[in-house]
Amino acid sequence: MDRHVTVPGRTRQRRVGSLEVLIVGLVILALTDSAARTFVVSRPDLATAATVFCGVFVQALPFLALGVVISGLIAAYVSPDRMTRWLPRRTGAAILTAGAGGAALPGCECGAVPVARRLFGDGDGDGAAVDRRGAAALTFMLAAPAINPVVLVSTAVAFPGEPAMVGARFAASLLTAIIMGALWSRWGRTEWITRRLPRVHHQDGAKWTVFTEAARHDFLQAASYLVLGAATAAALNVLVPPAVFEHLAGQLLLGIITMAILAVVLALCSEADAFVAASLTMLPLLPRLVFLVVGPAVDVKLVAMQAGMFGRAFATRFAPVTFVVATVTATVVGLVFLGGAR
Amino acid sequence: MSRETENVLLLLVGLCTAVILVTGTYTRYVKPSLMPWLVSAAVLLIALALSAIIRDIRANGRRGNGDDHRGSGGDGNIDCADHPHRTTVTWLLVLPIALLGFVVPPALSGRAVAPTVTEVSQEVLNRPFPPLPAGRAPEVALQEVVSRAAHDSADTLDDRLITVVGFTLKETDGIDLGRVVISCCAADGRLTRLHIRGPAVAEAERYPEETWLRVEGTVLPEPQDPSGLAIPTLTVTTLTRIDEPENPYGY
Repeated sequence: MDRHVTVPGRTRQRRVGSLEVLIVGLVILALTDSAARTFVVSRPDLATAATVFCGVFVQALPFLALGVVISGLIAAYVSPDRMTRWLPRRTGAAILTAGAGGAALPGCECGAVPVARRLFGDGDGDGAAVDRRGAAALTFMLAAPAINPVVLVSTAVAFPGEPAMVGARFAASLLTAIIMGALWSRWGRTEWITRRLPRVHHQDGAKWTVFTEAARHDFLQAASYLVLGAATAAALNVLVPPAVFEHLAGQLLLGIITMAILAVVLALCSEADAFVAASLTMLPLLPRLVFLVVGPAVDVKLVAMQAGMFGRAFATRFAPVTFVVATVTATVVGLVFLGGAR
Repeated sequence: MSRETENVLLLLVGLCTAVILVTGTYTRYVKPSLMPWLVSAAVLLIALALSAIIRDIRANGRRGNGDDHRGSGGDGNIDCADHPHRTTVTWLLVLPIALLGFVVPPALSGRAVAPTVTEVSQEVLNRPFPPLPAGRAPEVALQEVVSRAAHDSADTLDDRLITVVGFTLKETDGIDLGRVVISCCAADGRLTRLHIRGPAVAEAERYPEETWLRVEGTVLPEPQDPSGLAIPTLTVTTLTRIDEPENPYGY
């Protein structure tokens, strides 16, 4: 992509530009929209996939909007230095602080990715500071969607007879986030972060410009990958109906693995997943807890968004490890909190 | 992709969000309670796009007539030298624009969602439900009928004429009245259903599958099944064909 509209001398010499392509595409869409609608409606699977896609995308939009507002504010007001100064000096303490801080971002996982990317920064400063900030940002990204009050309240509402579910979800998700933060500070490499944030010069201190440019960039980036994730979720929703999983879910171990995979595949919003888990009454509580802990930490739309905001090298390493850590943590916490497999 | 195209895409995503809000079709995808948040999101996206477009036009204008420092100061120069971009992926935003702005997919069909009979809060212990609204045949949401039939220790449904809205599902042993329940968005839709029986139902046989109906009837008293898996039966006295309601889902 050529993002040099304000770079002098390179602006006006464009071939058939992307804007022309887009306009032609929109005109074609406008001319054929009723045919396209008939086509979609006449194929039930396609109609369902399209509706599910729109559901995931529209549901995520407000949270993504909130996320990019916060990430824009971070870009404008919280320099990496300041962020480093705010964090506790020791990495362990920084990770714990970030995990607890996750409770402060009400919303679901889509908004947390751009915020975490801004918090992560671009490797400015000395190695120890970068390391501490990175671990804290990733911990925050995993903790925020699972332990914020909105999600915990909806979990309590979905499981009215089982207050231990709320505590178990909180503990297992926070623990997953902290473990991942610790693993990152031990083994993580900043060269896996191949996606860089654009720099906006603001010598004159035009915070508004910095804010809107950062929010604009983060939205475009995160939303494009959200499209990819939502489309995957919609396709899987049609191709792999949950009923398939219900038949597989006879045994506890198989149930745990099945529910962990289902959480990745369905890519539900963390505010809604508790209701879905509650409805799967044929399963014991433990596999359903695994579903609630894995879903907000790693699912197809999150992996896509992480690949977009951080880079593919990062996502292909981070997502599988998160999946394993979340599944194991949820199982252990579930055994403790829920008193075994009920 | 050029920066202008990105701005146009951003603007269009905002406008499409505004359009589904104005036309009310957003209720096919998410809960109505999300509306204020969607309004803010649409306003934000449109504002971000317009501010970027205006900034670029000003920057170009400035370059045209000399270095004129007016406006908000910083001119939004973006340093791309250290910014490797392979963002053809931004083109993917055309998909939601095409779907929300042009195709507008329909609400979930009853056959498309999880076929299991589930209702939202099966973990609820049996408890007395509040009395039904007064009136000859108060309207009760379909999923609430199922809930009350399974868990209501006060038996509020017994001998009460109620009105229920749903779509028809033709099964081998008769017609069911169904409604898709969502808890957040269309991705988590689940089907709840009632058997509808009685002479009045014969009329519904003639309608195509998934015709929306408003029916009046009484729920056949049955022993409670706390698993929530038993499907209650509604004995129907009157039945009216209706258009798809504004909110197609139960919540």
